[in-house]
Amino acid sequence: MIRHPIPRPAALALAVASILVLIISYTVLSERQHRLNPGDTTLPTWSQLREGVGVAVHKNQRTGERWLVEDAKASLGRLFLGLLWGVAGALILGLLMGCFSPAEAFLQPPFSLLAQIPPTAVLAVFFVLAGTGDNMYVAMIAFGVMPTLAMTVHMAVKEFPEELQFKAYTLGASHAEVILAIIFHQILPRLLDAFRLAIGPAMVYLIAAEMVVGDVGFGYRIRLQSKLLNMSVVYPYLACLAAFGFAMDGALRQAQRRFCPWYQGSRG
Amino acid sequence: MKAAAVEIRGVHHGFGDKPVLDDVNLRIGRGQFLALVGPSGCGKSTLLRAIVGTHLPRRGEIRLFPPGADAAGLLVTGPGRDRGIVYQQYALFPFLTALENVAIGLMLDETSIPFRFFRFLRWRALRRRHLEMAVEMLARVKLADALHLYPHEMSGGMRQRVALAQALIMKPEILLMDEPFGALDEATREELQQHLISLRSENLLALDESRTPPHTLIIVTHELNEAIYVGDRVVGLSQHWDWRSEGHQSFPGATVTYDKATPHSSAKTDRNFGAFAMARDEIRRVVFEPQAPPGRNEHVTYWKTRASPETTDEPT
Repeated sequence: MIRHPIPRPAALALAVASILVLIISYTVLSERQHRLNPGDTTLPTWSQLREGVGVAVHKNQRTGERWLVEDAKASLGRLFLGLLWGVAGALILGLLMGCFSPAEAFLQPPFSLLAQIPPTAVLAVFFVLAGTGDNMYVAMIAFGVMPTLAMTVHMAVKEFPEELQFKAYTLGASHAEVILAIIFHQILPRLLDAFRLAIGPAMVYLIAAEMVVGDVGFGYRIRLQSKLLNMSVVYPYLACLAAFGFAMDGALRQAQRRFCPWYQGSRG
Repeated sequence: MKAAAVEIRGVHHGFGDKPVLDDVNLRIGRGQFLALVGPSGCGKSTLLRAIVGTHLPRRGEIRLFPPGADAAGLLVTGPGRDRGIVYQQYALFPFLTALENVAIGLMLDETSIPFRFFRFLRWRALRRRHLEMAVEMLARVKLADALHLYPHEMSGGMRQRVALAQALIMKPEILLMDEPFGALDEATREELQQHLISLRSENLLALDESRTPPHTLIIVTHELNEAIYVGDRVVGLSQHWDWRSEGHQSFPGATVTYDKATPHSSAKTDRNFGAFAMARDEIRRVVFEPQAPPGRNEHVTYWKTRASPETTDEPT
């Protein structure tokens, strides 16, 4: 039946089943691979995976750091900073473009051009401009997510009904108040939505850059361990990335529910 | 003598090559409830928007005469805090509850962003007072138990009532309404009309006590019954007027073809149904029917039967 809802327990059972299918098929594949080649590391058994996690969280005698901890610190730090700058820049530019026609006319052409270039392709440019330090990753993520986010903000401001703007003036609002106290509130949930969707691309840019020029971070470690076919380390790393993405998504959903309780119901 | 609240002088407007308004002149006294009617496309919303100040006319001017203004009045150059507006759609800020929607005007008018930021404690105390005033205002429009609902959780009638409270709490010089009840069902519409009538009674009370009447209303509507019921003066704006007799080669735009007091405006008695029906028929004939278009001033007699309110230069 098309678009027919099912009861909640059934949905839950199906969700559990899907996870079980994943686990079981992995186990079967891995067992079979190990029957063919007992030394295989491409599809590690569960015990091998446990060892891999052990390696990842083992304290390095020389540096006194654990891989997973130092990689997470480096990657997440870059990601957060990059997203922060990207969102802040997009918000300011989007509001400018949405509210002021000259800014729109001036900024839209470069934005629509730059948005077409994949940030990973201009890695070398960031490399030249910002060096190989953390700044490069931050700049790449920020400039990578900014065009889409700014366009979203721009569109949201454009869709703001002019009647509400006029009404704000009749209620004594200044221009600044119309932008900051009225329009900003209206577009905030859209911004949070766009932010959520931008996390995926931001991770792509980050991991790709770390794979190419990193000396620490998730991308660097995954590339290195993949080369050595240490998939028992790589898979836990991937799981960590998934968990992180999941947590960010959930946190932003929560934030939207908390700060924009009006939004879900007022759509459609 | 009563003071004028708004004066519309020689307003012309058009969209592209299409003329909409031709030489519209209106003088609206303080405390008047003016209903603006006309066939669809006659430009009544355009005229209202010109008064709001969001879409200024091509020619002519609109002047406001708030108490304390000099004889020349204030030229309308944009929307302002002295004119309240109730639209048919987009009546409320969707991200604010009913209470916040009503209180926001006080916030925007009385405070600024730096004040709210740097004098946070003072602002919090003031905010509490604003919310109390908003609660009181919402109780007056019978929404005391819907304070914390968001617009999307309210019915159309509730939303318009909040919009009315939102405008009224500002005590605007003039309240402007653009087809405010057009999308509502009959019962709700009647209830809201009743509310406007109660504002008019407040005016009458104020006049009895020789105070300035607190409410001046311009309501755009396509409903003749509503116009006669709510307004004490009906102005008909119409494309159907005898422009050829004024020497125009092509249609110059709609103009005021009807301007009279409603039957109940002078008497404080209840509605007189006979006079009510006669007025309605007359408006329908003069304003809405294209046959036998009237001359410009044939049925524009409002100020001929009473003393015109004072402004600087008297009309010729």
